[in-house]
Amino acid sequence: MFLRLVADSFGRRPRHKLLTGAALALGMGVATTALSVVLDVGDRLAKEFRSLGANLLVTPQADSLPLEIGGVDYRPVNAGAYLPEADLPKLKTIFWHNNIIAFAPILEVPVNTAILPKTISSAFTPSLSTSLIGTWSQHSIWTPDLQTRFVTGIERTNPWWSVEGRWFSEDAADCVIGANFARKTGRQIGDAILVQDGDKGQILKVTGILSTGGSEDDAIVTSIAIAQKISDKPGEYRKLFVSALTKPEDAFARRDPKAMTPAEYDRWFCTPYISSIAFQIQQELPGTDVRVIRRVAEGEGQILTRVQTLLWLVTGAALLAAALAVGASSAASVIERRVEIGLMKALGAGSGMVGFLLAAEQLLLALVGGGIGYALGIVLARMVGEKIFGAAPEPTLLVFLVVIGLAALVTLLGSAIPLRRASRIEPAPILRGE
Amino acid sequence: MSELRATNLAMFWRIIRRLLSANRGRLFVMLLALGAGAAVTAALLNLQVDAKRRLTTEFRAFGPNVLIIPKGSLSSSSETLPESTVHLVPVNLPSGRVGVSSALYMIGSVSVPQSGKSLTAVVAGSNPFGFLKVAVVSSSTPTSSPKGPAPSREDVCVAGARFAQQVGAQQNSKLVLTSGDRRESCRVANLRQTGGPEDDRVEIGLRAAQRLVDLSGRISAIELIVPGTPGEIQSYIADLQRQLPDVDVRPIRQFTEGEAKIYNRISGLLTGTVGIVLLLTALCVMAAMTNVAMERKMDVGLMKAIGGATRRVIRLFLVEAVLLGLAGGLIGAAAGMFLSMGLGKAVFGVAAQPRLIVYPVAVGLTIFVAVLSAFPLRRLASIRPASVFRGEA
Repeated sequence: MFLRLVADSFGRRPRHKLLTGAALALGMGVATTALSVVLDVGDRLAKEFRSLGANLLVTPQADSLPLEIGGVDYRPVNAGAYLPEADLPKLKTIFWHNNIIAFAPILEVPVNTAILPKTISSAFTPSLSTSLIGTWSQHSIWTPDLQTRFVTGIERTNPWWSVEGRWFSEDAADCVIGANFARKTGRQIGDAILVQDGDKGQILKVTGILSTGGSEDDAIVTSIAIAQKISDKPGEYRKLFVSALTKPEDAFARRDPKAMTPAEYDRWFCTPYISSIAFQIQQELPGTDVRVIRRVAEGEGQILTRVQTLLWLVTGAALLAAALAVGASSAASVIERRVEIGLMKALGAGSGMVGFLLAAEQLLLALVGGGIGYALGIVLARMVGEKIFGAAPEPTLLVFLVVIGLAALVTLLGSAIPLRRASRIEPAPILRGE
Repeated sequence: MSELRATNLAMFWRIIRRLLSANRGRLFVMLLALGAGAAVTAALLNLQVDAKRRLTTEFRAFGPNVLIIPKGSLSSSSETLPESTVHLVPVNLPSGRVGVSSALYMIGSVSVPQSGKSLTAVVAGSNPFGFLKVAVVSSSTPTSSPKGPAPSREDVCVAGARFAQQVGAQQNSKLVLTSGDRRESCRVANLRQTGGPEDDRVEIGLRAAQRLVDLSGRISAIELIVPGTPGEIQSYIADLQRQLPDVDVRPIRQFTEGEAKIYNRISGLLTGTVGIVLLLTALCVMAAMTNVAMERKMDVGLMKAIGGATRRVIRLFLVEAVLLGLAGGLIGAAAGMFLSMGLGKAVFGVAAQPRLIVYPVAVGLTIFVAVLSAFPLRRLASIRPASVFRGEA
């Protein structure tokens, strides 16, 4: 009989139920969209922030002090220490290897360049000294843990480097030349350049023009193997840029790991703070000094935290509005049913029974409306995610449970006050229309 | 005739008053739904405008984003430009103040009498001293004011962490800087670790650096922190380059480009989320209001039974909707403005500035939604009063 009453109520007033349901679905759609976006945004934005480039710098511990002005190191070549390139695949074996999204070693050699004549008859242009930067463009590394190849290179660690033409290929004698260098020497893609350091020389083919806005605009960039050959430093590099996805640092992350209790230390080690990733890289690559590029890392953390807080507040406001509107809707649907309640009471239903019946109706509505709203919200969240980040947020069970729970809570709360008043209704005056 | 109209009008308003006050519960529910919608609309619109502006300020945490250097001297440190160039840089932009710092770089020999060690290092003279304070990490032995900028006296310096480690300098140790036959001495006020080239340098006051290399009134570079959206920064650079043709004005592309990307993403995200939330909220409020409106068959039936023309009945309900929208909108939008100020304070530490344009927009939208949701009553115009009273329709 109870179920029949509920079913009858839906059947008899379909339009009202439909509208209350629609309000519910729309309200919960808001909640789902906002929640899905906000839960997903941290990871997405962290990835986006990698367009600022590397946030970790690895240098030899025993290095002499770099004399770097405006991005150019004025040290003599023989000064300072070098690191073995063969160790680099180990970076993908640290605990947070999935968070390391790119790395590229750098070996810089001061060289003399001569532009090869286009025809035999024309003369050699006078030589010009510049720096030759050896690095990776598309280097693939075999990762034993994942059984996949990981491709990395300088265009991933320094995404603002743009190349007109194409990047050099690592196993050919190719190079890209800086835009300023190209302008000064009048070289174009396809030309050949002779680079020399002492008695070692190499002819390189220009495959692209590089523009970075920094000192690299005056340099020649080629594969690290060629730079190693010319500088006579086989298998070595001087500095390594690492771009890692990190969690913004909080007060806990800023504490000194040495002063932590073992439990705290484990927590620190197992959180992708930039300091713990730096520490793990240092363990993996002995003899190195891993430094956090504070300018990138700290700005990133600050902005990420702000944006996340902002979106949580937007979500909170959206939830509040949805809750109020849905609550109002269900309150209205109870208010208008005084006659019906009066009739039920006149027929002998107790206040509890009436309340229970109406609550069951509202809950059923909440389930259906909440479910539809969840589906609607997921679709909208996908649209936002795809439009903005090119990737949709994964629907999670958590959001579903929260949304259904919220729908139930809001409808019940919205109907609670009018229901209490309804339970005090005397049937006779209502039925008489007073 | 006019008297009749006046009576009519008085009656009209009387009916409206009765309609509104007849059912307190219903009135409250309608105002609640409309008010909540208006509050969220006002709060989100206000916050969205403000948050985007604030974000560009937040980006300044990355430090300098524009560089002024002598023409074509990217890879040579020997060229300099006159210090007076600094005064030609416009600093007051609509988007905020431009941070300006001038620097003179040189390679000098630095010795520490305390440890007896000596080292060749880059010495940077800068004005204002300690400009790069965003990146200053207080040393392991913090000073009395680790966060504030270092004192701008001539005889103090900031030592990079790696430099200090190699030369054996600590806080308060004395450094002797030599270049050729000139020398300066200073006391280490602070150690700095940035992860950048500053770690390997000593920073001293600009005047001291100029004395050291005998280049009075010359600097190697000017660093600017330009606030604003990516577009504003671009046009600032173009304007500045036109104004100062003798120097190179270049964006530090790592930051200008990265920021542009991130800014566009975040602002798109905000616009998208806020747009969807507002749309759904409007629809949700509308559904709730329509639900309430549908319950009023009895009222419509009664009015028609005692001779109300359909148009007049509809007009009554529309006016009622406008009044409700106005009241709900005014209350809700006011609440929303306060809400957004609170939210702005919570996120950015500064209360969002109330934008007056948001207020009428939010109220207008609320009235619009209220009127739209009264529209289903049109269908009630065709009902026959008798069937309503018999409880058939």
